[in-house]
Amino acid sequence: MKRALVLASEALAVQEVPVGCVFTHNGHIVAESRNSVNITHNPTRHAEMNCIDFLLDYCKKNNINYENYFKDVNVFVTVEPCIMCSAALNNLKVKEVVYGCANDRFGGNTVLNVSDFYEHNYILSGNVLADEAMTLLKLFYKGTNPNAPDSKVKKKTST
Amino acid sequence: MTETEPPMKKFKHLDDSSTEIFEKYIQKIDSNKNLRAVLSDDFDQPLKLIKVFVGHIKDVKDISRTILKLNEKIPLKELQHLKRVRRKDVILCPINFFNNTLSIQDFIESSVPELKDIFEFFKQAEVPLNPPKIDRHYQEAKRIWSCNFHPNKYLDKLVGDEFFPLCELRTHRMYMKVAFEVAKWYTINKKIDSINLLINLNTTIVVDPKLQSIVALSFDNRQEHPMQHSTMLAIDNVAKTQNGGAWPSNQDKDYIGIPEEILPYLKETFPSLKFYRNDFILESKSGTEKEDRIYAPYLCTGYYVYMLREPCVMCSMALVHARAKRVFFCIDNKKCGALKSKTKLQMITSLNHHFEVFTGFI
Ligand SMILES: [Zn+2]
Ligand SMILES: [Zn+2]
Repeated sequence: MKRALVLASEALAVQEVPVGCVFTHNGHIVAESRNSVNITHNPTRHAEMNCIDFLLDYCKKNNINYENYFKDVNVFVTVEPCIMCSAALNNLKVKEVVYGCANDRFGGNTVLNVSDFYEHNYILSGNVLADEAMTLLKLFYKGTNPNAPDSKVKKKTST
Repeated sequence: MTETEPPMKKFKHLDDSSTEIFEKYIQKIDSNKNLRAVLSDDFDQPLKLIKVFVGHIKDVKDISRTILKLNEKIPLKELQHLKRVRRKDVILCPINFFNNTLSIQDFIESSVPELKDIFEFFKQAEVPLNPPKIDRHYQEAKRIWSCNFHPNKYLDKLVGDEFFPLCELRTHRMYMKVAFEVAKWYTINKKIDSINLLINLNTTIVVDPKLQSIVALSFDNRQEHPMQHSTMLAIDNVAKTQNGGAWPSNQDKDYIGIPEEILPYLKETFPSLKFYRNDFILESKSGTEKEDRIYAPYLCTGYYVYMLREPCVMCSMALVHARAKRVFFCIDNKKCGALKSKTKLQMITSLNHHFEVFTGFI
């Protein structure tokens, strides 16, 4: 989670929503990423999605069955995964998700319990270094999202 | 089209039967029946009621002072939409309002002693719990108890069955046909089983309604890449039209949001169809910098999204993140649809963006 927080501060430095994420496989870090929504103009490029894509690519290149691979993946992310990412992680049947602070706006557990819609659910726990994760978010929202039109800035944008 | 042999010839028999189902859909879509908005469950469910104590006033002359006194001592708070009095009956309070070891007579005597001899008798009644939002609910509610109603013309139209004028309806139905033509083309050219497609896959068309042109479209690739549901690809294709994008693709060089392989087929099948070129923006720039900034596209803001099937939770939330304006789909996704079947993401008030959802194409 400390590594994920470093990634989140990197996001902040390039004016992305500061969310960082690390995937481990049998205890080893196998993927790490941060939010890249603004640079890609794609609002779905959350840290989790970037890690997922990286590992899918890795599996493909190495002829590994991704369904087997993701069963042993643990996810560490600084902010509770949003509804979209929670659905993606349920879909891939990852083993466990640990997050920092809760996501009141989009959380895949706080706002809508996404696990209700999937047969396979991962183990979910939160509140790990939550204050640090929240501090980064607050720093971001004190500034403004340079890509959002004025009217939208006041509302919190995506994490 | 990268096949060396024309696939039409090679799979002639297969094609006829596998594309037949799309033809059937396309025929059905081609009607003048209006579309239905997918709205909150409240609109379909019977009116919710709440039990209240009602006092029957002996003498009509006492009505106005009784109401004044009650409003002062026992205000109705959550039931502000109800008129306090109906003929000689006055709402006193919800039945769970006070400790139930007390009788209503005792309660009135202790909280409004001035009114203790006003009522001939007390009774329980059921009254509408929530303020009516649409005319139909108002008509139903006022039969039960008199209530206030602030009509919302837009909402009333939305729940009705004449929302889209005919010309607009034709446009929506045309774009839905495009979604099915795209599915048909991939069935033939990528040898995808049509039944599998209709159950598991999807196609997505993103339209700028102001320019009446297709900004981006995509066919599903989840069999190769489990994240590449067609919605996710379409959002990325829109990003490409804004100098972004994350996934490599074989987009057309002029029409950046459109896969180049399908463009000739669509142009031939729908000669009047317009596609969005990035230089549209340059052409329509009108001079002042302020207007330009308003016009510059941001994610899917203002865009309509047409889909073969109701999107899953991931894709539906992606469309919220993308700030799509309206989402249209044809086939319900009973297993994991998140705009109608399993949940209605567009109704979650705490989300920061809400689009309208329409269905009822067939
Ligand atoms: Zn997310
Ligand atoms: Zn999906």
